[in-house]
Amino acid sequence: MLVYALVAGVLFGLYFSLVGIGLNLVFGVMRIVNLAHGDFLMLGAFVAFGVVTLAGLDPLLAVPVAFVVFVLVGVALYKILVPRLQGSLNPEMLSIILFFGLSQVIQAITTIFFGTSERSIPSSALGSIFTTARVKLFGGNADDTGGPIEFFGQSFPASWVTAAATSLVAIAFVYLYLYRTRLGTLTRAVMSRRDEALATGIDVDRISAAAFGIGLGLAAVAGVFAPFMFGSVTPAFGADATVTSFAVVVLGSLGNPLGTALGGVVYGICYMLVQTYLSSWADLLPYVLLIFILLLRPSGLLGRQVRVA
Amino acid sequence: MRHLLLIVLPLLVIFALLPGVYQNHLLLFNFVIFLVLAQGVNIIYGFTGYLPFGYVGFFGAGAYGFAITVMHYHASAPMAVLVAGAVGVALGLFLSPLLRLSGAYFAIANMAAALAVLHFVANPALEDITRGPYGVSLTGTFNPTLAYAAALIVLALTMGIVVFLKNSSFGLALQAVREDPVSASMAGVNVVRMRVIAWLASALVAGLAGGVYAWYVSVFFPDNVFSSDFSIFAIVFALFGGVATITGPIIGVVALYGVYNLIGFTTPQYFQLIYGLLIMVLVLFLPAGLVSLATRRGWRVP
Amino acid sequence: MSLSLTSLLHVTGLVKRFGGFHALDGLSFHAAAGEILGLVGPNGSGKTTSINVISGLYAPDGGNVTLDGVSIGGIASHKLVHLGVNRTFQIPKPFLSLTVRENIAVALAYGRAQVAPPTAEALMDEYRLTEVADRPASELNNAQQKMLDLVRALATRPRLLLLDELAAGLNPTELDWISARIKALAQTGMAIIVVEHLMGFIEQITDRVIVMNAGKEIFEGKLAVAVKVPQVIEVFLGGEHAA
Repeated sequence: MLVYALVAGVLFGLYFSLVGIGLNLVFGVMRIVNLAHGDFLMLGAFVAFGVVTLAGLDPLLAVPVAFVVFVLVGVALYKILVPRLQGSLNPEMLSIILFFGLSQVIQAITTIFFGTSERSIPSSALGSIFTTARVKLFGGNADDTGGPIEFFGQSFPASWVTAAATSLVAIAFVYLYLYRTRLGTLTRAVMSRRDEALATGIDVDRISAAAFGIGLGLAAVAGVFAPFMFGSVTPAFGADATVTSFAVVVLGSLGNPLGTALGGVVYGICYMLVQTYLSSWADLLPYVLLIFILLLRPSGLLGRQVRVA
Repeated sequence: MRHLLLIVLPLLVIFALLPGVYQNHLLLFNFVIFLVLAQGVNIIYGFTGYLPFGYVGFFGAGAYGFAITVMHYHASAPMAVLVAGAVGVALGLFLSPLLRLSGAYFAIANMAAALAVLHFVANPALEDITRGPYGVSLTGTFNPTLAYAAALIVLALTMGIVVFLKNSSFGLALQAVREDPVSASMAGVNVVRMRVIAWLASALVAGLAGGVYAWYVSVFFPDNVFSSDFSIFAIVFALFGGVATITGPIIGVVALYGVYNLIGFTTPQYFQLIYGLLIMVLVLFLPAGLVSLATRRGWRVP
Repeated sequence: MSLSLTSLLHVTGLVKRFGGFHALDGLSFHAAAGEILGLVGPNGSGKTTSINVISGLYAPDGGNVTLDGVSIGGIASHKLVHLGVNRTFQIPKPFLSLTVRENIAVALAYGRAQVAPPTAEALMDEYRLTEVADRPASELNNAQQKMLDLVRALATRPRLLLLDELAAGLNPTELDWISARIKALAQTGMAIIVVEHLMGFIEQITDRVIVMNAGKEIFEGKLAVAVKVPQVIEVFLGGEHAA
């Protein structure tokens, strides 16, 4: 039981890191609270549904599609919403309300087009592209796919492992972006001192637009796996996903995207432990954890920034 | 005094007379509840700058305070409403450490707190006390006429608090704290105490409103009285009209809740779409609310 | 100079650490009622930190601050205000959305001045804010915001007033005018501590200066004497920020 909970916790935790990391990037760079974050996850799930049902392809292919589409959506949304918001007296507060409005709009439009029914994807569909390739290249049986994968004598759904692996790749991508590219270096400069970055002539607007796009892109990628991790997805899924993302992000420290990786794993393990041993109280966990971390360790597990009034 | 006579009294008289001429009493009751909640948000957000994203926590806790007092202690409804207010204040005290957080952190923590209270109350393990997820039924105290009157009294109290804040140096000091806590303390203001007082006042009115609501509807589930719609609507109504004024939240409730009821119930998703767009336009183009159309021209708005 | 009996503020061995950095490292000085004392020193020498500690923004990590013989180290700012300590800020911090009059009203209502403070009208008149009395503070220019900061402090009738770079950014006429005002305040018996980079201004208004370096005092006396002390010269010219 314990081993199962721990391994499942790490797998879920890596996935939770991916769920939260985009939210944190957006907050870190722009001090904007994207309350519609979970809704972009939900839209990512719908991209996966589209790839499976319309094109009949492996949902893994939805990952690049969702990423590219939502990076573009993010840049466009940034241009429309953010400059006006940041011209106001209290952008951080107003962003909460603005993005709540956006979240309502996204939910409404999704409901109008797709209805409110729960949608899921058979987990064997995920990764079928690898099976096809293996069968073509090495021969073998195409049927033994989508089956559980074993760690430490316990078996876990293959989709969990795929999601965790994709999350690791995505986190590595964020790391490379922030620490190995010029744009990323500038992004970190904006994160630490926005006013000074402006004063030194950094094109804060361009960097923020890129960060916003990447943030939404990562949310959509996380969304692709949501049907497998949570069983099914409805247009209303976004609100819960947002709260969970906040719990993960705050755990790892708001404003530090890589802290989110740690926050996700800690959250995932706690989640699985409570699920295993105290299941009737599991619903309370994200909220209580969030409040305690904020109060006791206001800078998160890895943070330095002060957020006390 | 002028504000009490010219704004609060007419408002109360109108809502006292309307049930005689308008049939949909539930709608009128909801108007009164949202007036209380929007003004409660005004007290904490307008005057101190803390955005209570989990404001419904006090409302729901008040409703359950009412229910538990009636179910387990067989108290009279007015008594149970007072208990509901006390429960709101108690929860406010319990959550007062959250005031150490600023900006978005407070808003997020407050939202999480409200959800935590919901999941706590709705937990099947507490069925003996709260009836868990199965909801409560309080047919013994059912009396919509009296409950409506009680709602008007709660509204009068809430409006009284806001009028006081708008006209006293206490309210001015609260706004000073909102603008700059360090400078406020250098003006001799006890920043922590002021914040806690405003927080508890807004918790009190939401708790009372929750109690009155429980009395009026008499049958409800945790998801009803802890619905985040209450927080969101109250915040949006208050903002739409304009916070840190007496009239702003009233205008917001009357205008937006009116629109809600005109277009609301037949096609929820179209309504949600319009509502979401309205919120976005509001934040982008009128962040200080409708009253700012007047204040921008240099008119003073009470 | 020996500690005079009339001195109001005594600072002894004050220590303030931020992480491993000692912003104040055993600072000692005193200030008397009616005196204008200058705090000078290169950037990072601890001038503003000492003001922040004395005004209760930070609690000290060591040492003593006494006002009129009463220990005040670590007491909350609003209580210090009630005891007669007030200050201005390097970057003025008015209540931006409140009008000038409302800004002052808060301090008049909550300052608990022991002697009746001047009226808002008198203060606005004296510090050239009458014209903007009913405008929100956000519409004031920087010099006006600085005056509002000062007026907010004066409305609480302080016995000890700490001025953090009040003169920076003012033009020469404004400088002459404000130094006359500060001298007049001192003549009412107020102890005034001035942190400033403009040496001419310091020269013009202070009776005495404390030269600080690395969180403690290295010289105490007249500015005219200070500029001839080798240690002081080295701090100012050898450091990266010559004054």
